[in-house]
Order: sequence, then C-alpha cells, then structure tokens
Amino acid sequence: MVELNYYLGLSSILFAIGVIGVLVRRNAIIIFMSIELMFNSINLSLISFSSFLGDVTGQILVFFIIAVAAAEAAIGLAIIIALFRNKGTVNIDEINILKW
Amino acid sequence: MPELTTILFYIFAFITVGFAIIVVSTKNVMYSAVSLFMSLFGIAALFLLLRADFLALTQVMVYIGGILVLLIFGIMLTTKITDAEIKTNNLSYIPAAFFTTGIFVILIFVLYTTKWNQKTPIQNEETISQIGKALLSSYVLPFEIASIVLLVALVGAIMFSRKK
Amino acid sequence: MNNFTEILKSINSFLPELSVITTLLLCLIADIIIRKKSPIVTIIAIAGLLVSAYFVYMQSAVQESLFSGMLVIDPFAVFFKYLFILSSIIILIFFEFSNEIKESTHKNEYSYLILSLVLGAFLMASSVNLLMMYLSLELASLTSYILAGYSKSEKKSSESSMKYLIYGAASSGIMLYGMSLLYGFTGSLDIYEISRYLATNPTPNAFIYLTMIMIAAGLGYKTSSVPFHFWTPDVYEGSPTPVTAFLAVTSSAAGFSLITRLFLTTFLGSTQIVDGAFSIIAGIHWQEIIIVISVASMIVGNFVAIWQKSLKRLLGYSSIAQGGYMLAGLVVADTIGLTAMLIYLSAYLFMNLGAFFVTILIVNKLGTDDIEQMKGLGYRLPFVGVAMAVFMLALSGIPATVGFIGKFYLVTALMKPGAGYLWFAIVLMLNSVVSLFFYLKVVKSMFLERADNTDELPGIKFSVQSYIILILLLIPTIFFGLYFGPIVKLAESSAVLFGIR
Repeated sequence: MVELNYYLGLSSILFAIGVIGVLVRRNAIIIFMSIELMFNSINLSLISFSSFLGDVTGQILVFFIIAVAAAEAAIGLAIIIALFRNKGTVNIDEINILKW
Repeated sequence: MPELTTILFYIFAFITVGFAIIVVSTKNVMYSAVSLFMSLFGIAALFLLLRADFLALTQVMVYIGGILVLLIFGIMLTTKITDAEIKTNNLSYIPAAFFTTGIFVILIFVLYTTKWNQKTPIQNEETISQIGKALLSSYVLPFEIASIVLLVALVGAIMFSRKK
Repeated sequence: MNNFTEILKSINSFLPELSVITTLLLCLIADIIIRKKSPIVTIIAIAGLLVSAYFVYMQSAVQESLFSGMLVIDPFAVFFKYLFILSSIIILIFFEFSNEIKESTHKNEYSYLILSLVLGAFLMASSVNLLMMYLSLELASLTSYILAGYSKSEKKSSESSMKYLIYGAASSGIMLYGMSLLYGFTGSLDIYEISRYLATNPTPNAFIYLTMIMIAAGLGYKTSSVPFHFWTPDVYEGSPTPVTAFLAVTSSAAGFSLITRLFLTTFLGSTQIVDGAFSIIAGIHWQEIIIVISVASMIVGNFVAIWQKSLKRLLGYSSIAQGGYMLAGLVVADTIGLTAMLIYLSAYLFMNLGAFFVTILIVNKLGTDDIEQMKGLGYRLPFVGVAMAVFMLALSGIPATVGFIGKFYLVTALMKPGAGYLWFAIVLMLNSVVSLFFYLKVVKSMFLERADNTDELPGIKFSVQSYIILILLLIPTIFFGLYFGPIVKLAESSAVLFGIR
C-alpha cells in the first residue's frame, strides 16, 4: 500500500513544475499547458485526500475542476487565436502594447 | 519484494513527472503537447491506483480527448508546423527558480509535518454510484451551475472566433 | 425523497438567481432572433434585474440555508445582491453610451455576459461551500475574461484578455491547492464543518498559514489586491471602458463578499458575537495576512498611481488602493468594521462609476485616455469637468462627499480602543493624503493647464441623456455625503452573517 504522503509529494512536485512553466515560458500555449499541469497536481492531491478519507466529496470537487478547466481551455484557445489574428504571434515577449 | 501497487505507483509517478518536465522545458510546442498527453495519462493511472475509477475515465475523456485536442488545434492554427520552435527568453530563470524552490520546500514541509485527517480508505467499491447520487442530491446546484459555466464558455468561444 | 423535497423548497428561495438565469437565456434568444444591434436586449436585461431585485427585497430579513448547505441567504448576501444589481444596471446603460462598444463587431453579447457575471457574483455572495465558492468564482472570472476581450479587433483588448486569463487561471490554481489542503486536513468542504474541525483540533502553524495565503491569492486576485494585482493596470487599460468599470465595481465587490464570508466564517471559534466582535479561533491569525495585503495595496496603489499617464491605468491603481481600504474593515473582525466595509463599498460604487462614466464620455470624444491630452479640457466641457472633479475628490475622501463617510467609518472602526489598530488608521489617513495628489492631477490637467490652442477649440457637447446619467450619479455622491443616515442604517442591518449572532 502506497502511503498518502507519497501521493502528496508527487502532487507538490507536479505543482512546482507547473509554476516553473508559468513563470519561465514565453509561449502562451505552453503557459497554458503548465497551468493544466498545476490543475492536475491539485486533482491528484484532492483525490488522494478523498481516497484516504473514504469520502467522495473531494472527487466531486475534482469533477467540477475538470469541467471548469475544459471551459477555460475553450475560452483560452479562442482568445489565443483572436490574438494571433491581430498580432501574428503568441509569444508573450512580442505582445507588448501594454506593459507586461 | 515490494507490492505490485507500489511498483505501479513508481512507474506512473516517473512517467508523469518525466513528461511534465519535458512539457515545460522543450522548445518545440508540439513535443510539449505530446508530453502533456503522456503526463495526463500517468495521472489517470494514478487515479485508478487511488480507486477513483470514474474520475480516471473523466480525466481521459475530458482532458485527453477534449482539452488536449483543443490545444493541438490551437498550436496548428497559430504556428506553422515547420517553425513550431519558438524563441524562449531565459532572463527570468534565476528568480523563477528561487521562487519555485521556495514554494516547493514550503509545500513539502507542510505536507510532511501536518497530521492529515485519515479515516478508512476507499477499498474496492466503485465510486461512480456514490458520485452520481451526490451530484443529483447534495451537489445538484453546482451541477446545474456548471451548465451555465459551459454555456458562457460556448458563447465566449463563438464570440472570439466568429468572422468579423 | 427527502432530498427531493429539500431541493423543491430551496428553489422557492432561489428566485433572485433563477430570474437572472431566465433573463440571461431570454437575452440570448432575443439576440439570436433580432440579429442586429438593438436596445431591446439591454431593456430585457434591465427588466430581469429589476425583477430579481424585487425577489431579493422579499428576502431582506430571511436567514436560510439552501441546497443542502451550498448557499445561505442572510442580510449580508442581500446587501451585496443590491450592490450587484444596481451597479450592473448602471453599467448596462454605460454600454449603450460607449463608442468603443458601438464600433466593436459584436452586437448584444455584452448584456447576457453581464448577467452571467451577476449570477456568479450572486452565488459568490451567498455560497458557504468551498466547491460552490470555486465554481461561482470561476463563473464570474470566465465572464470577465470574455468581456475584457470584447472589442476583438482591438489589439490591446485581446492582449489584456489573454493576460487576465493566464493570471486568473494560475491564481485560481493556487487557491484550489489551498482548498485541497484544507479539505485534506478537515475532511469537509462545508465552511461551517471546517470551522468546527479547526476549532476542536490543534492546527499546525505552517499548515494554516500556507492554506490562508494560498486562498488569499485566489481571492486577492479577484479584488486586485497587492501582491496579486499584476493584471489590474493592464486589463483596466486594455479593456473597453464600460468593461473596466464593471470589473472595478461589480467584480471586485463580489470578491470582497467572498473573502469576507470565507475568512469570518471559516476561522470562527464560536458563533456568539460578544460586544460586536467575532470570536476568532485561538492561534489562527488570519488578520495578519489581511493586514499585510491591505497595507501593501494602499501603498502600492497610491504611490504607483502618481506616475500614471493613462486615466484608465490611474483608475486601476486607484481601485487597488481603494480595495486596500476596504480590507481594513475586515481586519477589525467585528460588526462595526463589517458595517464600515459595507458603507465604503456602497460609496465606492457611486463615485467610481461616476469617474468611469466621465472617462467613457472623454474617450468617446478624444479617442484616448491620456491625461496629457486632457489639458484645458475643463473649459471645453465645463459641466463634465466639474463632475469629474467631484468624483475625484470623493474618491480621495474629501468631506461633504460620500467618500468621506466611507473613510470616516473605516477609521472609526480601526480606532476602537484596545484593538491596537491605531497605527493602521494613521496609515490609512496618510494614504488618503497621498491619493489626493494623483486625483487632483487629473483635475489640474483639466482646469489649470491649458493647451496652446485651447481658446480656439470649440466647446464639446454631449447628448442630453449623458447629462442625465451624469447628474444621477452626481446626486448620490454628494447627497449621501451630507445625509448619510440611510446608507449607514442599511449597512448596519446588513452586517449579519448566517449562523453567527
């Protein structure tokens, strides 16, 4: 039996990787993927808590997080495409009419 | 000889973390997307190890079947496949590294020093019926509001991508 | 079967939200049928909001828990619902005036997007379950991302929308991690259950601080508080002006309602209020975190605003600072502080919407919000210039305006003997003095400086309707500054949270 702490450790590693991606990468789509990694680490920690508590509430929260993530991805991609049409780039360094 | 679940845990954890690192480090956006695919699969497998059968399926269907396909469409529409390589700016590497290490150390410290509330873990029963019941009784309101969230997303996506 | 009857019973008390949802769908259908720009959709939206206001009014004195503990109705939520309805009706009218919106390729979408944000805000003000809080926050956020990119052909707008989305998603991720830790520790998502568990079990310091900071990150992003404010100036500058006004008033008010309920209820030791003070669980010092956020917001907002050249950016930093003042009311953690916060929020609604309406009118005529370009503008549009001066002075808290009443009550709440927040009250007052500097900069540019050719330029005329709206916003700004009894009374009776007495 793998203990709870192992899952939580794994989840925090994934979260840290996601945060690095958000901070360091400059391509909007990759930043977006890093955010998805962060959400997955949260889902993993919630499910492991839920599993070790013997309570499905955490899993229901994960269900809604996945639904919202899908909605967010749809809007995010639409915005990225609108931006690409306007500016011809998705590289954040070149998106600089407004100060970043 | 370690237990089978332990071996499986390490295999899937390795897959998940390894591909996650590729997602944030590779210069080719397409490689990133494919690695994200593998990483999400690893997480789905971990969900199964945690006996969250329903969510493992949801993960595969929504994340891999929906969000990832959307991302790949986004990549194909915004960059030509031939020059999918995008210049990255590594100026902010050092502060980012400090920041992330800080977060990571604090998280690990908290995760290992806190005494988590553990009752009887979910054993071999299926969770899908429990989730279904909860969604249509206690959690019926969020379930309905989620439909509004999806409607808003639909309107927004159409609004942004419609021709002028 | 029990569940079923409970759901049916809850629907009866869910009428304000239901009427918003119905109106939202009606607007969507009307837009599809009409297919061109038409005020009818806006009229439907306003009518729906008025119906909803009626149902909210019916619930004035109710305290009830709905949908198996997902939502509550209490005077606190009712107060916020009034704020949301009032501000969104005013903003729906703003949308009719703005040229930025008329020139955009979209026609009536904004009316139902605004309604869905109002729905999100309604749920944020009344949810008592972490799941429901997250979902309603996301409903409001998703709508704001779309609204920020409303003029799609405008580069600035889609750019600000993307930045908003990236910051928003990342900070809601951080908040969710905090929520997951809270769930893992207490085994529940219901904030009353969580509160009970935290009160009876020893909580490790590191854990509780990390959780609170992570949750504050997600909510602070919504209220644009430092250090989670990075998106604010860019999004405020890049979005169409009516959207900026909406984000600055309705969306941040929703954030304040959520942050207040979450912190006051979750970390509550006993449901008894002694001498108006909430009894906080011993050892959980959430006020420290809010104090840091509040002071940082005031200082960063007020000092950075001094160097701004764009009026919308300046108002962005100003609302960061104003958010800092409002959090001060939460820090005191008693009914007086809560009342002061509510008073300030209602004052903020009138004066900030007024300032934004003048901005819309100026942007319509000048095509820019650069303060340098406004030199001598006060002579070309005297009435609008004077109105702007009034709103700016109100925002800085000059006596005889509604802004002063807000600040006065906040400072009084902070100076409660024995609370030890005297230094905080002094910081707040010093910040108001600093803020006077940049608010007056706008007035100075409009009246005291003259462009070389001011005298040659003709005066600018606006339509009668815009003057009417302006006067309607000016009246409460001054009137409630002199005769503030009703606002104070309403706020005092609204500072009641469900299950705490």
